[in-house]
Amino acid sequence: MTTAAYTDLLHLAAGLQLLCAVGAVWRRQLGPSVRLLSAQGTALAAIPFVSGLYRHEGHLVGVALAVLVLRGGMLPWLVSRLVPTIVRPAADWTDSGRYAGSDLDLDLDVPGSGSAMRPEPHAHDDPEETREPTPLVSTTVSLLLTAALTALAYAVSRPLVTLDPSPATHAAPAALAVILIGLLVLTTRRRAVSQVIGFLTLDNGIAALAFLLTSGVPLVVELGASLDLLLAVLVVAALTGRMRVKFGGTDLGELQELHE
Amino acid sequence: MSGPVLAAVLAAVTVLACLAVLAAPSRALPSVAGAGAGVVGAVGVVYGVAAISGGLAPVSVGWLVPLAGLRLAADATSGLFMVVTGAVGVVVGIYTAGYAAHGHMGRTPLSVLPLFLACMLGVPLADSVTTFLFLWELMALSSLLLVLAEARRREVRDAGVWCAAMTHLGFVAVLVGLVVFAAAAGAEGFPELSASAASLSPATRSAVFLLTVAGFGSKAGLVPLHAWLPRAHPEAPGPVSALMSAAMVNLGIYGILRVDVTLLGPGPRWWGLALLAAGAVTAVYGVLQAAVATDLKRLLAYSTSENMGLICVALGTAMLLTASGIPAVAAVAMTAALVHLVGHAAFKSLGFLAAGAVAAATGLRDLDAFGGLAPRMPTTTAAFGIAALGASGLPLGCGFVGEWLLLQSLVHALPAGGTMVALVMPLTVGVVALTTGLGTAAMVKAFGVGFLARPRSAEAERASEVGRAMAVGMGLAALACGVLAVAPAVLAPALSRVLPELPAGAGTPQPRLGALLRLPGVGGSMSPALLALGVAAGVLLAFGATQWRARRRPAPRTAELWACGGGALTARMQYTATSFAEPLQRVFDGVLRPDVELAVTHYSQAPYLVAKVTYRSRLRDTVETSLYTPVIRAVAAAARIARRAHMGSIHAYLAYGAAGLIVALLVAR
Repeated sequence: MTTAAYTDLLHLAAGLQLLCAVGAVWRRQLGPSVRLLSAQGTALAAIPFVSGLYRHEGHLVGVALAVLVLRGGMLPWLVSRLVPTIVRPAADWTDSGRYAGSDLDLDLDVPGSGSAMRPEPHAHDDPEETREPTPLVSTTVSLLLTAALTALAYAVSRPLVTLDPSPATHAAPAALAVILIGLLVLTTRRRAVSQVIGFLTLDNGIAALAFLLTSGVPLVVELGASLDLLLAVLVVAALTGRMRVKFGGTDLGELQELHE
Repeated sequence: MSGPVLAAVLAAVTVLACLAVLAAPSRALPSVAGAGAGVVGAVGVVYGVAAISGGLAPVSVGWLVPLAGLRLAADATSGLFMVVTGAVGVVVGIYTAGYAAHGHMGRTPLSVLPLFLACMLGVPLADSVTTFLFLWELMALSSLLLVLAEARRREVRDAGVWCAAMTHLGFVAVLVGLVVFAAAAGAEGFPELSASAASLSPATRSAVFLLTVAGFGSKAGLVPLHAWLPRAHPEAPGPVSALMSAAMVNLGIYGILRVDVTLLGPGPRWWGLALLAAGAVTAVYGVLQAAVATDLKRLLAYSTSENMGLICVALGTAMLLTASGIPAVAAVAMTAALVHLVGHAAFKSLGFLAAGAVAAATGLRDLDAFGGLAPRMPTTTAAFGIAALGASGLPLGCGFVGEWLLLQSLVHALPAGGTMVALVMPLTVGVVALTTGLGTAAMVKAFGVGFLARPRSAEAERASEVGRAMAVGMGLAALACGVLAVAPAVLAPALSRVLPELPAGAGTPQPRLGALLRLPGVGGSMSPALLALGVAAGVLLAFGATQWRARRRPAPRTAELWACGGGALTARMQYTATSFAEPLQRVFDGVLRPDVELAVTHYSQAPYLVAKVTYRSRLRDTVETSLYTPVIRAVAAAARIARRAHMGSIHAYLAYGAAGLIVALLVAR
């Protein structure tokens, strides 16, 4: 692979990741957001893959494959299971929209258990559960904030780039921007699922920054970080189930009641 | 045995003791717990004696404390403190075997007991800043767990909060002080610090001095940082109170002695003056509160504060006289501090053990409700009597030798020193005399009102003597008191090795603690043994004379006791602790500021006849109410403002995090 192709591909991957993050801010529908997350994970996996091919380092390709499986496939799939599907009107929801079903194993609905293949039990005819309700900050303002954060990321990471100018470090500000955008999504979204999306965006940004600024993350470190992430998503999945049972929805604003 | 072996044995015994208590079956729990603490104490005594004899190699364990490693070294000064702590531990261990059998202490506090003891043994061993702070904090935490042994009661929880807050504020002061010291010296080992202390700037040295004295002073209970001591020590179970009051407070003194006197010192004259002033205020304030206290354990805790004040007076005098160039008298003052420290440990552990025995037998701590314990609990009464004699600083008590030495050093410093010494010393003599006088009153009250006369409550009437283990524990402590009172010469070998390590005692003739106490360079000598012999001879003579006279008296007749025509005498006519202290309370009204409530109710038909008089007097710690209340109120107000940021919204919390990251990014750029 030539250096020019390597640079182009690396920048394309980083840019694609940033684009997916911006898309996550723009789209309020939860389904497309999850698909964007999957694309973002794939773009992230491309970074170590391209570096591994360019520098002829086999373990980077291995890391890339692990990242692809986990962040491009597994985590978005887990998140998509948290999004209720509109197709099936379910009998176990009362008129008031409160869940009155009897199968309490819902909140322990861990993938890999027997229930993994059956249709989603928490299907919902209220479209509000499948998309972000009126956001705390309107979409326009969010997009403007995204632009500002991206500019900020480029501004603050200039010393990092000048420290060791290389194609990889030149792409680092994009990764930093993804981190800041992830934080923005975390801060401004109401649904628990959107929070997970924001959190995963943030972590994708951190991973991308690590790939770009260092000469490659050891497989053990990447596996450790990813397993933490998997655990966090599983915990949020259980929490979302509990919230549906207790509050009838996954609006995090409801949790304010728990304040002493 | 060598240093590493002893350290390993101490660590292994501690771990084994803790595990044994956790694993012991319920029936064997008291004996196992007592044995565990006792064995740890015994190892401490052996280690301490070995340290005093000298020649123990320093121990360094690199992997134990992250980054810095554990560094232990024992000199004679550490050895003395370890022997005292270990001896208290042995006595408390034996006592605990009986005390825990009453079910007063749960498994958790009993399992922490050996750890607490080992931490107190470890603090004097520490040879680097990190090790010292690590063991110091471990000791504070384990003592907190022990204070909270009866956490079901509200007072205990309050005491726990005070203890935790004050201990940690003190820890922060020590931490900052030692870190500044280590940073300025560029090393963290005590030998390196000692070598480079002289080259530090005077401002740095003074800052370190003030911070560390404040931190160690809060542990030793110096006014105004004493507030936790009279709350936490009484609320802890009996054996724990004894350990805290007789061993843990000593380590506050050890900190001052190690860091401020040995490592930093010799300093300017105002250091000694500051320590002396703090000690003098503490001594008078502590003894005054003890004199008016009605809670037996609170009284003893205030007396602890008082005695730590006296020790600080002695240390301050030694520092002042060293700086003024009167080393011979400074050595006497330093000896006074060490002798009084050992004596205090003996009589205060005995006092708290006896108070714990009374509390276990009656469930009470209020002196007003005691009385009549002497015939019901003779062993405990005798034990408390010996402790009270020691605490009052009279001849034959084990507090006497230390106070005598202190007064000698104060009196003999006069002709040699300059104006400052000439001004301060007579004042200090007055303070020590006042303290001793009030201390005697407090102890007479505690013993006379608490143990003699008739019982004033049903609980006191039903009291019965404690079991054998508790009696043996108290007996050992009483024996130590007696030996220290009559033959302070037992301390001579240890002191002759400790004094040359301290700036005040190096290179001067030391006071000789023989059968006759001699102070070289100072005209003064005294023999506690001869004094005791004289008193014993006098008592025997008087007893013999009365016996001889009794033979010529007519036979006694039994008759009703004359009660001024007022009918039979009742227990309500006795002096109570409150009424005994009332004159003192009146004299020191301005300092104590009691809340007095007097309500007189008249008959409605006859307004000149009084139906009922209600008198209520409540004493609060003045320093606490006037100094701490505003601080606590300000902290609470600040916390209320800070709570506004905690509105419970996850989005707000996430926004704080995001804003923090962005600010950090902008600043780091």
